[in-house]
Amino acid sequence: MPQTLPQPEKRTFLVVDDHAMVLGGTLNILKQEYPEADILTAATAQAALEQIAQTTPDLVIVDLVMPETIGSIAQANSGLQLLKTLMEKYPSLNIVVQSAHVQTLVWLKPLIDNHMGGFTVVDKSQPMKDLLAMVDWALHERIYTPREIRNGLQLKPAWMQVLQFAFQESLQDTAIAKRMNVSERTVQCYWTKIRDVLEVYPQNDKNLRIQTEVRAREQGLID
Amino acid sequence: MKRDRWQSVKAVVTTWGRGALPGVMVIVAVMIARLTGALQFLELVTFDRFLRLRPAEPMDERIVIVSITEGDIQRARTYPIPDREIADLLKRLQTYQPTAIGLDIVRDIPVEPGNAELTSVFRSSKNTIGVEIALPDRSGFTVAPGPALPSEQVGFADAVLDADGYQRRSLLGAHNPQQEYRFSLAIRLAERYLAARGIELGNGIRDPEAKRFGSIELTRVQSNSGGYVGADAGGNQILLNVRSGTMPFRVLSLSQIKSGQVNPSWIRGKIVLIGMMSFSAKDQASSGAIAGINPGRIYGVEMQAHATSQIISAVLDGRSLLRVWADAWEYLWIVAWGLLGISLGRFLRSPWKILFGILVASVSSIGICYGLILLGWWVPIVPVLLVLVLNGAGLMAALFYRHEQELRLRLEERQFAIEQTFNAIHSGPLQTLVGILRTAQEQATPPPFLPELQRLNQELRAVYGSVQREAIADEPHLRMGSAIELALQAPLHELLYKVYCNTLEQELPYLKTLKFKIVQFDPLNTSHLRLEHKRALCRFLEEALCNVGKHAIEATRLTVICTQEGDRQVIRVADNGRGKPSQSETLSLAQMDRDRETTEEPNPKLQPSGLGTQLAKNLAKQLGGAFRRYPNQPKGMVCELTWSAKRRWFR
Repeated sequence: MPQTLPQPEKRTFLVVDDHAMVLGGTLNILKQEYPEADILTAATAQAALEQIAQTTPDLVIVDLVMPETIGSIAQANSGLQLLKTLMEKYPSLNIVVQSAHVQTLVWLKPLIDNHMGGFTVVDKSQPMKDLLAMVDWALHERIYTPREIRNGLQLKPAWMQVLQFAFQESLQDTAIAKRMNVSERTVQCYWTKIRDVLEVYPQNDKNLRIQTEVRAREQGLID
Repeated sequence: MKRDRWQSVKAVVTTWGRGALPGVMVIVAVMIARLTGALQFLELVTFDRFLRLRPAEPMDERIVIVSITEGDIQRARTYPIPDREIADLLKRLQTYQPTAIGLDIVRDIPVEPGNAELTSVFRSSKNTIGVEIALPDRSGFTVAPGPALPSEQVGFADAVLDADGYQRRSLLGAHNPQQEYRFSLAIRLAERYLAARGIELGNGIRDPEAKRFGSIELTRVQSNSGGYVGADAGGNQILLNVRSGTMPFRVLSLSQIKSGQVNPSWIRGKIVLIGMMSFSAKDQASSGAIAGINPGRIYGVEMQAHATSQIISAVLDGRSLLRVWADAWEYLWIVAWGLLGISLGRFLRSPWKILFGILVASVSSIGICYGLILLGWWVPIVPVLLVLVLNGAGLMAALFYRHEQELRLRLEERQFAIEQTFNAIHSGPLQTLVGILRTAQEQATPPPFLPELQRLNQELRAVYGSVQREAIADEPHLRMGSAIELALQAPLHELLYKVYCNTLEQELPYLKTLKFKIVQFDPLNTSHLRLEHKRALCRFLEEALCNVGKHAIEATRLTVICTQEGDRQVIRVADNGRGKPSQSETLSLAQMDRDRETTEEPNPKLQPSGLGTQLAKNLAKQLGGAFRRYPNQPKGMVCELTWSAKRRWFR
């Protein structure tokens, strides 16, 4: 179930979709769930980029297939291109990908792995509550990618280092950050990535770190 | 019905017109080149070559050359040879009763001693022809005949030379500067010889200005005859069909005649030509058509013998004189071969067939032209070969281009169709369906058709997925050629990642055993890389990953790093498998490399070079970087290519 956090300030969401029906549905449910939030919409990649540049939203919900500009034909490429641009220009932007076909994301995997903000993926045919869950996770800067784009158990070298420092040398995040010469925030970001790879998702009353260690040992990531 | 046929004819003409336009342009260009004389030299050289290649003819017994050699000059101890010597020679020759004697030695000025004797010999011998130079030389001088000879006993020895100094034509008659019509020595001799056999010299029937003996008309050369362009066709000239063979005429020496060492039948009833055959006398002619010890150089008197012989042989033996086609026929002939060249490309679609066709056509055209030369027809060969080969080469090029274009077009169309289908499915049915599904799932009691809807969803996605895979997965097939150029424009690290994903999906034994992968694909500086470098880097990664898949036994971990380390860019593939020991001959080259390298020290210079290794090394060299393969710790192999991130100004 989605958890609603106390909202310190007014949130801004941007929904990008060229299908009125989808746009309407998404808009409705978001308004119900986040009545305080300011929800903007865009129907083309170009419009989305303009909106983001102006408002810097807390969260962007994007489709993967859309027209580049108004009047042009929807293309798989322009949606992917928009996502690429977003991740390159706004490395800590929280992104929810809502699409009818999310497999295309497999080509963007290295970029997703580098992204520092929340990044979740939901298929358009999944129930609305799943969408809400993904929105919530993204707002919490968590990572969720479907299995088909994950390419098996695929990690970045830095994540492996984090695992080794944490579970072989039992270091705290602060110490790991120091050893790796990165910020603590980065280490935390690595953790969310690692959890996504190991499919350790937040459940009530479970210790994520311990769960992660168990899964990492199961998979042979650490000896 | 009629209209239909007309339409189809029109269509054929249109296709031909479009397809054959370059070919027609080639034909026109070659014809223009010929008209401007650009091909004259080549045509004349080929003409000579063909004439030289003819089989040897038997000696012409009707003409005997009496040569005055260097030895004779030395014996006379004076030059020019005195008139007495000549008079003496003529008298001796007359005893053998020749039909005609041609004295190819000018005697306009008395050369004492013995001028009186020579004068009386000239007066008494009606069968003797002396020579003059009828046409002025560069200084404007002509040489008069011996004063004792009546004008019907005088023939000129003038020659018409081509720009290359070769004599290919024989001048039979011309007006001298005094506007008197003069005959050549050759025609005078032939006239006498043939008159003795009852064949009189007359005017041509087809061409009244031509000369004719019986039924044989001596066709005049026009300024554009055969390969000639704007040649000086003044006077009455015919093409010179020299007698082939190394001994075309019997040659007797002055001393032989003096000492009487001759068979009287060699001279009786024959034409005797007396001339200088000594280099100091400089009476020489050049011909490309005569093969010999000193190719192309013969004595003037020999050339006179050839000119006389060709007329007599034509009349009496039916030996062919050289003739040419009318200009219109020549150009029709060239156009016909050009069209043949074009139709080769039209009907033979494969380049090899066209090449073969052009070869056969060229050889045939050469054969035909040679055959025609043997029959006495000089027809254009150089322009024919030009239109054939140029059209052939052009067609081949066009064919390859067309093939390339078609392939590109097909790929583009296919890509377009795929994208359209993809977009249509995406924007239409899929969106509607997911909307319905979502609403249906929201409801407290899901409708009974929900499972069917879900199945429909699955099915639609399967179609959609396969279409999309086509659209995207095509790109990393880097061996597909031109269509990939566009795909290669993408950033290198993205390309490499695609290669990595695709290669990992290949059915290779040790890719399946992999438990996890450690990968990093960072943007690389590719500003100084060409497309083929990017392609080669993608292939390198593919090759390295395939090697892991084939040879890294029980590998569980794969590390693929494409990043910048310091000022070096690196692609590194490492595994933790164990290389298998060599067992059989069936091991691939890469495997052999691997096996040897695990036992040898990892010095790149000492590594054996397999095919893959060699390619990688070449690539490293091109990029100014290094390729290494070394053991991984604690086990496995590392395959690494590094190159500088900075542009190199040297190399």
